[in-house]
Amino acid sequence: MQELLMVRYGEIYLKGLNRPYFQNLLLARIKSALNNLTSKVTLHDSRIYIRDMKDSAACLHAVQRVFGVHSICPAIEMDKEDFAAVCEQAFQLMSGLSGGFKVFARRADKRYELDSPQICAAIGEYVLKRNKDLHVDVKNPEHKLNIEIRDKAYLYINVFAGPGGMPIGSNGKATLLLSGGIDSPVAGYMIAKRGVALSAVHFYSFPYTGERAKQKVLKLAQLLAAYCGELRLFLVPFTEIQMSIHEKCPADYTTLIMRRFMMKIAEIIAKDEKSQALITGESIGQVASQTMRSLACTDAVVTLPVFRPVIGFDKIDIISYAKNIGTFATSSLPYEDCCTVFTPKHPQTQPKIEAVEEAELFIDNIEDLINQAVQNSELIQL
Amino acid sequence: MKVYLDNSATTRPDDQVIQTMSLSMSNHYFNPSALYPPAVEVDQMMAECRRNIQRILNSPGQVIFTSSGTEADNLAILGTVKNNHQHGRILHSAGEHAAVLESCKYLSESGYDVESIPLKRDGQIDMIKYEKLLTENTQLISIMQINNETGAVSPISQISKLRDAICPDAHLHVDGVQGFLRHDCNAFDLGIDSYALSAHKFHGPKGIGALWISDRVTMSALIRGGGQENGIRSGTQNTSGIAGMNRAIEIYPRINNMRNMKLRLYRHLLIKIPELIINGSDPEAITSADHILNISLPPVRSETMLNALAAVNVYVGNGSACSSKKRQSSHVLKAMKTNQNIIDSAIRLSLNPNITEMQIDYAVECIADIYKKFKPFVRR
Repeated sequence: MQELLMVRYGEIYLKGLNRPYFQNLLLARIKSALNNLTSKVTLHDSRIYIRDMKDSAACLHAVQRVFGVHSICPAIEMDKEDFAAVCEQAFQLMSGLSGGFKVFARRADKRYELDSPQICAAIGEYVLKRNKDLHVDVKNPEHKLNIEIRDKAYLYINVFAGPGGMPIGSNGKATLLLSGGIDSPVAGYMIAKRGVALSAVHFYSFPYTGERAKQKVLKLAQLLAAYCGELRLFLVPFTEIQMSIHEKCPADYTTLIMRRFMMKIAEIIAKDEKSQALITGESIGQVASQTMRSLACTDAVVTLPVFRPVIGFDKIDIISYAKNIGTFATSSLPYEDCCTVFTPKHPQTQPKIEAVEEAELFIDNIEDLINQAVQNSELIQL
Repeated sequence: MKVYLDNSATTRPDDQVIQTMSLSMSNHYFNPSALYPPAVEVDQMMAECRRNIQRILNSPGQVIFTSSGTEADNLAILGTVKNNHQHGRILHSAGEHAAVLESCKYLSESGYDVESIPLKRDGQIDMIKYEKLLTENTQLISIMQINNETGAVSPISQISKLRDAICPDAHLHVDGVQGFLRHDCNAFDLGIDSYALSAHKFHGPKGIGALWISDRVTMSALIRGGGQENGIRSGTQNTSGIAGMNRAIEIYPRINNMRNMKLRLYRHLLIKIPELIINGSDPEAITSADHILNISLPPVRSETMLNALAAVNVYVGNGSACSSKKRQSSHVLKAMKTNQNIIDSAIRLSLNPNITEMQIDYAVECIADIYKKFKPFVRR
């Protein structure tokens, strides 16, 4: 008999001939997430089993953050041939519980002597006779006792949800523009959940933004890294560019021109990182730079596709998502970020691309400024 | 060069304080309530610290050790009111520290009549309004000796005299966290009933403070237990903290050059930046503390100035350290009806007795350079 975690995967089931590739990738991601907690992680019979755990709660917590995991069950593994012992273990699992219960049996080993209804009946009867606080409730049970008969028998009561999605790395790599606000970590999470490995770019404007703003972004990147594994974060100095824009360009276009600079720089870094797309946390109409015309103007300066997974979300929905993934509290810390430093009083909301390009011409050293920012960026490996 | 100008937030513990505390922890770790001789020695050290506080305040009375100035303020306000069993009026100045404001807010929410005394534009308490708010049934008045953000020195003597005339039984609590050792306070002569202090503001350790109370005061405990500190504040005393605080009191140079250094800072800044705005009283006036200068340099925001100064090893405060992690405007500057753009660019420069002319001059150069560089970049 052994305690273990039984991990189920979701969407990978739908894969055809390449399913083993996805299974093995998920196995690797789970092993990586468990790191020093255990080395015994195996894939067998469409389940991933985690054994020899030093700290089962910590293992559960870690696996709950691995994309591709559908659910996790802390289970007891035992010899299926000794059915009396299986019944006794089922009773032990249910001891101390009261109320309605139901037994669920799954017989993956079709050669097993008892079929699923027989297993349910036998175990249900055994438990019911010995625990007087329980009664059978097949319609709305408080407690669900699960028995799976595979090469061994597995018993469990609790099923913990995983994050779903696809294992990181199964769908390439993209670069996230991480601002320090609420939206961009959510956007990064949503794309990473689809199996996309991330790198991130953050623009900072010292001394307008300081050490605490930097620590805030590092914390957000760490929170994302807990889900998406390794994450390379590029901190790009942006003050000189902002000051040039502020000094030389018409006030109503400054935010848009700033966004175009950011996209250009992010694309250079993304291509270096072999990313296939950029990710932003923009949502239609949330601020002046996020009207459809403004977004078209920022997209015009890059060739990589730009993914905006929260584009149709209300702010309140993004906040709710951020709370669920645990980034909201950090995103809400009050330190200024570079986007808000020089916000003009009346920014353009319906810009024309020709007008933006014309306004940009006031800066005669755009390429130099961009190259300098890229060169001076700091890489932090999380 | 490194220049630390955030001494109102906290001070560097003096080397002698660190040595004293280390010795206290390694050799004099005994519980002061125990009966054997080494424990009695610890008890005697605590008695010496109490005497030193009484000596500085030039007053007999009781000294209750606490974990902080905040706890001392809470104890003075809540402990007094709890003991009174009556719902008389409670007055505090609008510029008080959060330790006082939150205690009074708690009482207000519990049904007490709590009133805030407005500040004038120079940060001084509006004495006319104060007199109007004083009623015969006032039971407690809480005033800070020196405002932690602007350095405004409160007229304790006048406040006390008015109290004596209108409601002589009212408890006068003085938050002396920014004043103790740095400005004289004869608690007995001034008719103060309680006085809060915190060691880390005068080169002592963090985690230790005290509340002095006059002999006429009776107080209820907020923390109950073994009955230490005459039953007013239970819990085994932080003896190494008390030893450190005692040493800090003994070695604090009460005659020092801080005022001259503050005035040098102010005058040199004014020469370099004539448009400098002072938040609070005229720094040359006696109503301005020796060690605090609060200035605004709009349009350069305080966060920008603070970050840029930190990069050249000059460390200043943007108002009260206790609330600087929250993005909210200073309640003190708001109470002074200061314009929002001036509040947004306010920085607090606070000194210690060891600051040198060279450090002051370096800070002035840095502030002026940063101001000049970032002044043109305003929101359009």
